[in-house]
Amino acid sequence: MSALLVAHRAAFGYQRRPVISGVELEIARGDFLGIVGPNGAGKTTLFRGLLGLIPPLEGSVRRETRAIGYVPQRETLDPIYPVTVEEVVQMGAYGKLRGWRGLSSAERVRAQECLERVGLADRRRDAFSSLSGGQRQRVLIARALMDEPELMLLDEPTSGVDRGAQARILELLVELNRSRGMAILLVSHQLSMVRETVQRVLWVAEGKVRVGAAAEMLAPENLDRLYAASGTTRSASEEL
Amino acid sequence: MDGLDGVSWSERLSLFRWAIAAALVAGAVYPLLGTFLHVRRTSFYGIALPQFATAGMVCGFAVLPWWIETIGLAGLDLSAATSDSHAAMNYHLAWAALFTFGGLALLLWLGQRGGGSEVGRVAAAFAIASAATVLFGRVSPVGKGFVDELVAGELLGVGVHEFETIAVVLGLSALVFWLFHRDLLLASYDRETALVLGKRVLAFEGLLVLVTGAMVSVGAMALGPILLFGMLVLPPIAARAWARSMTGYLLLSSAFGVAAALVGIVASFELDLPMGAAIAACAALLALPGALFGRRAA
Repeated sequence: MSALLVAHRAAFGYQRRPVISGVELEIARGDFLGIVGPNGAGKTTLFRGLLGLIPPLEGSVRRETRAIGYVPQRETLDPIYPVTVEEVVQMGAYGKLRGWRGLSSAERVRAQECLERVGLADRRRDAFSSLSGGQRQRVLIARALMDEPELMLLDEPTSGVDRGAQARILELLVELNRSRGMAILLVSHQLSMVRETVQRVLWVAEGKVRVGAAAEMLAPENLDRLYAASGTTRSASEEL
Repeated sequence: MDGLDGVSWSERLSLFRWAIAAALVAGAVYPLLGTFLHVRRTSFYGIALPQFATAGMVCGFAVLPWWIETIGLAGLDLSAATSDSHAAMNYHLAWAALFTFGGLALLLWLGQRGGGSEVGRVAAAFAIASAATVLFGRVSPVGKGFVDELVAGELLGVGVHEFETIAVVLGLSALVFWLFHRDLLLASYDRETALVLGKRVLAFEGLLVLVTGAMVSVGAMALGPILLFGMLVLPPIAARAWARSMTGYLLLSSAFGVAAALVGIVASFELDLPMGAAIAACAALLALPGALFGRRAA
């Protein structure tokens, strides 16, 4: 199976100071991975590094596919913008637009299909800011689907949404992973969700990354050991 | 505007055609920039930057005698340079641009360094630029009357040269907004996604800075700061309450700007008011229904 993303001895950080180093990782089609670890351990730094938003300070990150979908935390999107659901999804095609070229009819149809895929086609003319947290998250997933990604990276996709919305989002991700072989990498502090959903876990602590099977690494007895080894305790939001 | 009572409407339109045309073009295009400033939560820039440009122009007046004596200005003497001449207009535009881009660079640099609040920094910049305008005006041999006229927002002196400059700069700016509004939107709304999609975010942010500096410099020089304050800030606020999409927001802002310009022009002729201030007041009135009855944006 060909790799979509390969990190080799990669170190990521800010202002030339590594936060995390020695990252060895290979993501292939069909993979489902979660980045977890104590607060402040460098989960977001690793995520941003793999995404290409910060360059590696050492080593390399090779992306073998250009079809990468990104789903940011919805709180980062300012509701002062009067964007509609449809406009947000269509932004997923902006990467291909150059100069005066507007959206083609095929791209408009594609946006509609992506919205149907996440079950929100009937809300396309609504203001994005009028949707619930879970619905906004699904719209952002629809936007990431516009480019038909082989690899999708999601930043805290189920944070701050109720259990029902969380279940719908996870159902959608599992379906994309299983039916289309889309590789998925998400970062989360919700350990129980990660354990029940992903195949492999990237445990981030003390500037290092350990990779292992989710069920094994996030088993309660193992978790206590991992937290103790990193000299931290679990916060309320990280409880299983 | 004394002495207009006996002048017919057609004569007024003919006499002040360049001022009227400049006000309408400004009404159509400045709100487009104001819309981007508004959603980027940098509306205060729409007040501080015109004041920087004004300070720059008045500074240009203050050093004009020295400039003519030591460097020269297309062979003009002081009296000719203070009257309506192309070379003098370019001279003042250069000073306005120098202060606008300087102020913009300073604010962006301070913002990147962090510390303090953005609103506080911009408010301080406005206070400093306002004080500088008055002080430069006081030491300028020709400045006081000019400063008074500029602050009052009297546009009727706009001639063909000023209109041509306004039309070219605002025409090019409108073209930039039309061509790149999607890229500017994505880079502003969701910078990280824009980067992941391969957009040159820094280039688009640089383009917006360039357009902002050029539009503010030329507007402060030809139209005065009050009209700029009004057109950059009020139509976007008026339109936000009714806009249902980003494209609609841009078009509605522009429509509110043109409507304010039209009503303001008529009001200034009918009620004998300074045109710039009358247009800004009309823009404020247009914003009122939205503030009272429109949907509340975050």
